[in-house]
Amino acid sequence: MNTEDIIKEVNSIFIDVLDNDGIIVQYNTTSDDIEEWDSLNHIQLVVAIEKYFKIRFTAAEIVNFNNVGEMCEAIKVKTLAQ
Amino acid sequence: MKKGDKFQYNFKITDETYNGFISIFNDKNPLHTSHDFATEKGFESKVMHGNILNGFVSYFIGECLPIKNVVIQTQEIKYIKPTYLNDELLFSAEIIDVFESVKMVEIKFVFKNKKEAKVATGKINIGIL
Repeated sequence: MNTEDIIKEVNSIFIDVLDNDGIIVQYNTTSDDIEEWDSLNHIQLVVAIEKYFKIRFTAAEIVNFNNVGEMCEAIKVKTLAQ
Repeated sequence: MKKGDKFQYNFKITDETYNGFISIFNDKNPLHTSHDFATEKGFESKVMHGNILNGFVSYFIGECLPIKNVVIQTQEIKYIKPTYLNDELLFSAEIIDVFESVKMVEIKFVFKNKKEAKVATGKINIGIL
């Protein structure tokens, strides 16, 4: 799965967790771009993504992601390593 | 707290719990307050409010876990069988997952009555502060 494919999968998770069919996430999307992406929903998003891709992030990784794309790059690396 | 940790606690739906719930939330639906209405609908007696069980869950999270720096983030519950006044319930919970990246613990739980029948099951996500 390439990064674009992962972004599409992550988009579906955002729509489900944030309950907003209109959400479109792109590589450069950040929490500033999505109104519903608050601190509580952030936790739910990370948990949903970890479950979906059967991966685990560290707290440091989460803090260092600057946008959705960087997270998806990390997902790609982790899923390839499985 | 770690994956696989298990907890058990006994609860009883007392007069105080039942009347307190009605006093605070004012849900006097006849299913919960009229023996005749409830039995006409096929129940043994007046049915206890399902959300009383959520109160027990709140007590468990807030008072029974080995740490106090917790907050409930999400909670879901499925009611399987009715509960009645003076029912004694065994609450069993197990940590089924830990998400260290966001300090979140996932717990599944079940309430069983004295007949060992499941009356409710659910899942709670708690954040560690």
